[in-house]
Amino acid sequence: MSTAMNFGSKSFKPRAPDKGAFPLDHFGECKAFKDTFMKCLRDNHFDNSKCRLQSKDYLECRMDHQLMAKEPLEKLGFRDLMDPPPSQADKDSKP
Amino acid sequence: HLSSWLRGCIQMLPGGAVARTLHFQAEDFLRRRLPARLVTQSRGRKWRSQQDEWRTRNKTVLTYIAAAGVGMIGLSYAAVPLYRLYCQASGLGGTAVAGHDTEQVATMTPVKERVIKVTFNADTHASMQWNFRPQQTEIFVVPGETALAFYRAKNPTDKPIIGISTYNVVPFEAGQYFNKIQCFCFEEQRLNPHEEVDMPVFFYIDPEFDEDPRMARVETITLSYTFFEAKEGQKLPLPGYSYN
Repeated sequence: MSTAMNFGSKSFKPRAPDKGAFPLDHFGECKAFKDTFMKCLRDNHFDNSKCRLQSKDYLECRMDHQLMAKEPLEKLGFRDLMDPPPSQADKDSKP
Repeated sequence: HLSSWLRGCIQMLPGGAVARTLHFQAEDFLRRRLPARLVTQSRGRKWRSQQDEWRTRNKTVLTYIAAAGVGMIGLSYAAVPLYRLYCQASGLGGTAVAGHDTEQVATMTPVKERVIKVTFNADTHASMQWNFRPQQTEIFVVPGETALAFYRAKNPTDKPIIGISTYNVVPFEAGQYFNKIQCFCFEEQRLNPHEEVDMPVFFYIDPEFDEDPRMARVETITLSYTFFEAKEGQKLPLPGYSYN
């Protein structure tokens, strides 16, 4: 932790999160999305890259239920999931 | 009086013994050649002016030393803000330098070749009665890609408990690349009796992680959260806001 006694070594300094803290989901409104996400993770050997769609769905659920400040999805790093593929009908994008 | 001064001054000079003998010889010589009164007078005047010279010299030296001392004290006070400025400019000691721009999240591209395993750890303080654990032990992420992870906390007691948490990232140097967009730390979280909640952490690893030569060997990052019980009336300083 940051109680290392030597002056030369770097110690860890915790930083506050960029967008603050998530309010607690006391009523389990987004539990279903969370379960989908966890199942996806377990099926894909915990590879986050394969489950980004589910994580996007979970965050959208939070935003819909006032459990998270509404943000455009690019700001959350989901720009690639938002771009509509030019040749197909898009299912992912949200205005 | 005069002779004790003389002795003192001569002992200050280098080669004092030689000077002393020479001086006594000179004194004897002068005493024999000149009348006693004149000798004393001229010697007195000469030594008095020498005394004054030494006195002013001592005073100058002391003034310089005092000025140096005051200068040192002033420097040690000035060092605190100067060092802080230097740290912010150079990023020493883990202060925020690389990529703490929230705009970066929108424009960063994932570095797909570099897969990092992030393991999760959950701790509670001894007097904290929540059951707190991660819902996944590890997750594989790449720098530049946002990731979601969950912890679960349950309050098994019959009274509401308010908790507050902090986190730690190991290895320490990787901690500056580990950015949390949103989590559940540093704010009071209240759990009612027998309530269980999911606590998400939304984070990403800065893409510059891949370019840092010190991080070339790092393949595992451990994120560790610790929950403490928040007491009434206790106000914890929010890290990162109290220093800057």
